[in-house]
Amino acid sequence: MSTVVFDGAAHRGLETLYREHNGWLYGWLRQRLSNSADAADLAQDTFIRVMLARSASTLKEPRHYLATIARGLVIDLYRRRSLENAYLEALALQPEYHAPSAEVRAAIIDTLMAIDRMLDGLGPRTRAIFLAVQLDGLSYEKAAERLAVSVSTVRKHLARALMHCLLIEDA
Amino acid sequence: MKAILADAVDWYVRLHESNVDDSTRSAWQAWVAADRRHAEAWARLEQLQCHLDNAPSGAAQTLAIARRDRRNAVKALTMLLGVGVVGWQGYRVSPWRCDYSTRIGERQQFSLADGTRLDLNTDSRADVTFDAGQRLIHLHQGEILVETAKDPRPLSVRTVSGDILALGTRFSVRQHAASTRVAVAAHAVEVRPRRSSEVVRIDSGYSMSFNADSVEPLRALPPDALAWVQGMLVSVDWRLGDVIHELARYRPGYLGCSPQVAELRLSGAFNLDDTDVALLSLEDALLIRARRMTRYWVRLEPLGLHS
Repeated sequence: MSTVVFDGAAHRGLETLYREHNGWLYGWLRQRLSNSADAADLAQDTFIRVMLARSASTLKEPRHYLATIARGLVIDLYRRRSLENAYLEALALQPEYHAPSAEVRAAIIDTLMAIDRMLDGLGPRTRAIFLAVQLDGLSYEKAAERLAVSVSTVRKHLARALMHCLLIEDA
Repeated sequence: MKAILADAVDWYVRLHESNVDDSTRSAWQAWVAADRRHAEAWARLEQLQCHLDNAPSGAAQTLAIARRDRRNAVKALTMLLGVGVVGWQGYRVSPWRCDYSTRIGERQQFSLADGTRLDLNTDSRADVTFDAGQRLIHLHQGEILVETAKDPRPLSVRTVSGDILALGTRFSVRQHAASTRVAVAAHAVEVRPRRSSEVVRIDSGYSMSFNADSVEPLRALPPDALAWVQGMLVSVDWRLGDVIHELARYRPGYLGCSPQVAELRLSGAFNLDDTDVALLSLEDALLIRARRMTRYWVRLEPLGLHS
């Protein structure tokens, strides 16, 4: 983690923001999450993000801003949990000694998170074709067979997905 | 730039046809070489490929299941949050790293963006950097087999001992504690130790060890030296101690043998995917027994000891 240096004004701005809105934010999150520890964690994370953006002292509508950030964090937490569950399910089918360490597992979930985010915004067919070819390593013919589409459809959607991935790297 | 990216994607899709021919390959190479921006666009696709290679096996299914599970609850969440879940790109995790690795007992084959094949043996780690001028595979640990694809850019493997430049070829590189061992199965490579001005050529059918300061003599390569790629260990008149030392690489925990049996000689082929079977066949053939304390501690001893 990089060190963040604040000037006095930014620091006071953050303090005020935290004092005035932390309770409200926790309540907002608590309504949306099933347990209070998650809500407390995400409230903290929200303020860390505000801190990293160094924008605490210039906010016109602080609660709106906090809620926007917190919403993104809730979605990410949700994404992570669903991937963790799916991954653990897959892992449970493998022999015991293949179970990776917690550290390795966290890195794998990070990788899956990044790919999953990258695939947001693709249609279901494009995504399925992309996964079959790029991650399962199927030939175009095999992918076409599995998904019951033509080989030229596979080519077209693969190109569309690749283009999408390249362009969001720019965003 | 967007049009050039689209061209690069088009080439990528054509090159990954199962029946791609040499004329397509050379047309693609000409395209990459024609303009610096072409090479840059291509490098970005290679980077993307690299990111995807980081995914664990079965990732496609894991991603599909996770998305399905989310879809089931997505309506409720959307109502609570007041936005669509799809499309949130608020912030990113740290940049992708281009690493390839295997766990103990695992082997994996990767197809790099230029078509080069990279096999990782058990407990190995390598990263790959392709740019407009070169292709570099950095071996940090373990053993790899490289089968190079035709490409105008030179390909090298780098270890702590030095660099190995491929001359259109198939070769393996294994990192030992204090040295690097190179075995060449086709064509040739050039070895440059890191702290020496020496350049040594290794031709097909030979192997050599080297460290940062010096090289050892060339040795003839046994015919089955690269059988690990097919999941086999082939030994012809080996010491049992050496066979056990090799098999131990593919098992988590301790695998060893007592000095009384280490000098026994044997020839055989063993399946690396099931070293328990290999141990059983050793027990049968050599009148030795495996002493086990949990599956993670196994020692081969003479029959009769401790029995």
